[in-house]
Amino acid sequence: MTKKPKLLSLLDILCLILVPGALVLILFFTPIERVMGPVQKVFYFHVSAAWAGMLSFLIAAVAGGVYLSTRKQKWDWLSLSSIEVGLVFGLIAILSGMIWAQPIWNTWWVWDPRLTTTAIMELIYLAYFILRSSLNTPESRARLGAVYAIVSAATVPLTFFSIRLFRTIHPVVIAAGGSGESAFNMTPRMLLAFFVSLFVFTLLLIDLVWHRSRLARLQAVNRGEGV
Amino acid sequence: MSAQPSDTNRQIVVNDLVKKYHARSVLNHLFITMDKGALCILVGDNGVGKTTLLRILAGLVRPDSGEIAIGNSSSSREPQHRRMIGYLGHHSMLYQDLNAIENLTHYARLYQLTQAEKIVSESIQSVDLKNSQYQMVRTYSRGMQQRLSVARSLLHDPEVLLLDEPYTGLDKQGAQFLDMRLQSLHRQGKTIFLAAHRPHRLLSFASHVAWLKDGAIAEYSPVQDIPGHPDLAAYLQESA
Amino acid sequence: MNPFRDYLSAVWNILRKDLQVEWRGRQGVPVMLVFSLLVVFLFNFALQLSPDLQAGLAAGLLWVSLAFASTLGLNRSVSLEQENKAMDGMLMAPVDRSAIYFGKVLSNFSFTFLVGLVLLPVFSLFYQQNMFKPMLVLVMVLGLGAYTSLGTLLAALSIQTRTRDVLLPVLLYPLALPILIAAVESSRSILAGQPIADYQSWMTFLLAGNILFTAAGLMFFETILEE
Repeated sequence: MTKKPKLLSLLDILCLILVPGALVLILFFTPIERVMGPVQKVFYFHVSAAWAGMLSFLIAAVAGGVYLSTRKQKWDWLSLSSIEVGLVFGLIAILSGMIWAQPIWNTWWVWDPRLTTTAIMELIYLAYFILRSSLNTPESRARLGAVYAIVSAATVPLTFFSIRLFRTIHPVVIAAGGSGESAFNMTPRMLLAFFVSLFVFTLLLIDLVWHRSRLARLQAVNRGEGV
Repeated sequence: MSAQPSDTNRQIVVNDLVKKYHARSVLNHLFITMDKGALCILVGDNGVGKTTLLRILAGLVRPDSGEIAIGNSSSSREPQHRRMIGYLGHHSMLYQDLNAIENLTHYARLYQLTQAEKIVSESIQSVDLKNSQYQMVRTYSRGMQQRLSVARSLLHDPEVLLLDEPYTGLDKQGAQFLDMRLQSLHRQGKTIFLAAHRPHRLLSFASHVAWLKDGAIAEYSPVQDIPGHPDLAAYLQESA
Repeated sequence: MNPFRDYLSAVWNILRKDLQVEWRGRQGVPVMLVFSLLVVFLFNFALQLSPDLQAGLAAGLLWVSLAFASTLGLNRSVSLEQENKAMDGMLMAPVDRSAIYFGKVLSNFSFTFLVGLVLLPVFSLFYQQNMFKPMLVLVMVLGLGAYTSLGTLLAALSIQTRTRDVLLPVLLYPLALPILIAAVESSRSILAGQPIADYQSWMTFLLAGNILFTAAGLMFFETILEE
């Protein structure tokens, strides 16, 4: 096992400071939204988590592509780790969205296209782990996992395009969804907190994926599969 | 080191081949060079990687590293290049719901053989299945399926034949037929690489023996020189 | 020899072989057909559907039954090649391996499309509205084309796992969801008699799905099959 890189330790410390920092910023620095009240503050971490999830799935697909061309195990570890971390971020996005939806929409869940497709995206990547666990060799897990990660990521734009189409056809249904639009009606303080959250979650994502990759490597070595 | 055959007489060249499963090297830096027209028996214990080696040569398994050249080019991943190779594996590669003619015609078309009908008909005749050529392969005995598989692997008249335990499932008569067929292909100058865990019936007409052990070719010797390789001779004696 | 013609002839040979096997064994289309009808009946009881079904429900029911039934055909199509490793025989043929993919997609498409064509009059009868509309047939071509080109790829992937064909629905349904949404939406508009402008963006979407999934198959089919 290689020594923990200095950069990773630095990243750990940064995350330990910045995540609570962002929270403080959101709780005490941003104004309370006039219509929705305090629950609107969920928005900052909600969008950031969704962003981090999407970014992880993208990283997983790119790492999968690099694996297929180089066949180096470390790229598979990166791909696997990104998906695992992305799933958690996706779950945070969904759960925080539900917390927001309860008082605002008066229900935990609506069958809105965006909610539904996000949930489906989680299922797509859950299936990734079922696929891996039913393959026998580390080599086939890596190879077929990479193909699946790439094909899955390729359908993400398709999914989001289909939401857009729903908009043009049923504008009324969508008006309820998407706190994303309100990002542009935010006050400067809200905007600042929003971008800080995005940045912090991106750092957190890199940190977690890095740790998880190192763990994957350790597991492989432990099973006698690694280099 | 290049896998480019240095002279036109080389037909199979394998350089530094590595294949791992579960991080365990099944083939570990394997080298072998085979001349055109050789009939080489590949011997070795079960599970030593004979099948893996043949499947890599056939282009069905991707090696982790190493170079392979078959014929006069090292571009073995080029589709047209696969025309040179005939492979007979553990599975028949036949469709159960089609009859013998339909099965072979499918392969004849894939290989774009001209006069496919004639070739298929002769091929079925040659493995003595004329009488059951309209029956579905599902109804065939193990031996009949194996004979049809032999016909399938020879259909496009390949220069290099890779045969993995071709005697499996054949009765005495079928085995004798295969002996004769192999000898005639050998006389025609085809290069034949044949894995067999009981090689004895082949020693009388094979030209070489290759011994696969611990992921590499431990011994490679012309048949008449076997007495000069006591380990190999002892191994062959043992597996008799 | 013209390489493009060689390629097409290889695709055609594989398609022809599949048609021949189906004609002999009749293990694909009849099973799919019966299964899709069973799905229709089950939904009727479960959801207490009335004969004068709304256009939306009829369109949804049509696509759900097609989507369920085609997984049977897709699994059958790859297990046919794995039974005696006939796939190895095709992989060794002197043709580009993507030709095998196209051949299999075309045969899977033909079989599911045939099932769809039979379902149209059956639906017309059960739900008392004419479903035999040229535009609906076109949507079926586009929708099933995209669905089977993704399905063939994933069936080749799932057959390599320990659980073999069991995995296919779990991999296929979430990834195919945007396609199914687009197919249902355009079918719904067609059945409701809406003008083409209302749903042509969904049709374009289906076309994009065809291109995307076919490209994915072209790129990854060989990677999936090699050991």
